[in-house]
Amino acid sequence: MSRALRPVLLLCALPGAFFVAFFLAPMVVVLIASMTTPAGQPTFAHYVRILADAYHWDVLWVTFRIGALTTLVCILIGYPLAWYLVRIVQWRPWRRFCVILLVVPLFTSNIVRSFGWMVLLGRNGLVNDGLIGLGLIERPMRFLGTELGILIGLVYILLPFIVLAVGNALAKVDPALEHASADLGATPAATFRTIIFPLSLPGLMSGAVMVFMLAVSAYVTPALLSGGRITVFSMLIFQQYSSVFDFNYGGALSITMLVLTLALVAIAGRLSEPRRA
Amino acid sequence: MVSALIRIVSFAALAYLALPLVVLVGASLTTTSFLAFPPQGVTLAWYGKMLGDPSYVSAFLVSTLLAVAATIVAVLLAVPAAIAIARYRFTGRGLLAETLMSPLILPHVVLGAALLQYGSAIGLVRSFPALLVGHVVIIMPFVLRAVLPQLTDEQKSLEEASADLGARPLTTFFLVTLPQIRSGLVSGAIFAFIASWINVELSIFNTTAELTTIPVKLFNYVQYTIDPTIAAVSGLTIIVAAVVIVLLDLAIGLDVLSERRR
Repeated sequence: MSRALRPVLLLCALPGAFFVAFFLAPMVVVLIASMTTPAGQPTFAHYVRILADAYHWDVLWVTFRIGALTTLVCILIGYPLAWYLVRIVQWRPWRRFCVILLVVPLFTSNIVRSFGWMVLLGRNGLVNDGLIGLGLIERPMRFLGTELGILIGLVYILLPFIVLAVGNALAKVDPALEHASADLGATPAATFRTIIFPLSLPGLMSGAVMVFMLAVSAYVTPALLSGGRITVFSMLIFQQYSSVFDFNYGGALSITMLVLTLALVAIAGRLSEPRRA
Repeated sequence: MVSALIRIVSFAALAYLALPLVVLVGASLTTTSFLAFPPQGVTLAWYGKMLGDPSYVSAFLVSTLLAVAATIVAVLLAVPAAIAIARYRFTGRGLLAETLMSPLILPHVVLGAALLQYGSAIGLVRSFPALLVGHVVIIMPFVLRAVLPQLTDEQKSLEEASADLGARPLTTFFLVTLPQIRSGLVSGAIFAFIASWINVELSIFNTTAELTTIPVKLFNYVQYTIDPTIAAVSGLTIIVAAVVIVLLDLAIGLDVLSERRR
């Protein structure tokens, strides 16, 4: 056994040590700080302060509502787009162009993409001009500083994740299954419902979980598009570490956010487990 | 009917994806001193102004150096870990894999805060090494995720054959394993590089006025002023991203959505 373990130790020593030193240790430090006073006495006061304060509940509610809406809209737009790219597009250069269009935003910073939306969604921005030009609204709508503005920005940033995850799953569906289903007399809708959709569900779920996690923990996009009017949870954490310098309370906020997101993702994972007939 | 609806949603979504990028690149060409789209006239003056500003040039250099260094370290750490996870059965193997992948789902703000707090205890703050260790942690999963699926069992028998024929482990690695995982390694490294290059949430805790990356500099700037210089900086990062992707597409093919099994 010890002979078999030697190569493992050799291979894992450096990556393991690196992760212990710069990932696990920092997280443990935060966990400990969240449960102690600045003087080092154990306390749960920081968590009590978070849980007892209605303001924190409001912020959490806004954060998770935006996260859930972002995920929902990403699915509603992303699934048809993935379907279009995998199933409908026949001309390869066009699909290639579309995939590039999908990936370029992923390769650009959140800050650049959110800045683009700041310009577009402003009072005199292209979106307002367009809506007025089409006669849909009379006066400029306020987007910046509203949840709608943040939603537009977050969906923009996270849409490619869903499309790539669903597209990958759809591309792997064996065409023979559909042919068999059609031969046996199933309508296209029934084939989709009973065969294709269930096969694409793991991709959809993993994409959705990714989108939800990233939406809930996003900092840059809400910070830029909220105009200081809306606070999400990551902003509270950032405030504590960058201007208030209360690392104990900040630690408790960090741990709260971590636990809540992981719990919700675990629930989502449980719900999406394939049901056995 | 359904197909028409899917087409409409898809065209709208594709336009939505292109819009901000087109607007920023367009606005960076304007001759006005404020952001205008469609641009009024065409000039590269704002790009010239950006390149004449040493603080932007140095931020570009810091971002690039950081991303290159972090990618190299991440590859050097992730490949041995991937081999251990794929080739050996040992206690804690699942735990190791999950720990190494977990930065993918951990909020970066939380990790950035943790590294700042921990770093101030051990004297590793607001410096290039402080930025580097954080970036390595968050980009390693990209390399690991790309390499692991390529360390297949069929390949294991090739490695065993190589060992049976008397090759040393390192020889086997360079002659047998590495060529097999090369494409995964390249795409993983590129994604890792990009994840570092565009990061704000983690870097922002450890940057200073002198030592800053392009995304953090933009973030701090955009909150106070908006002018065509910022659009030019953004435009440059968009153009770089587009060039990298087109090259990537030509080199390894990004058409991941068309591999329908026959």
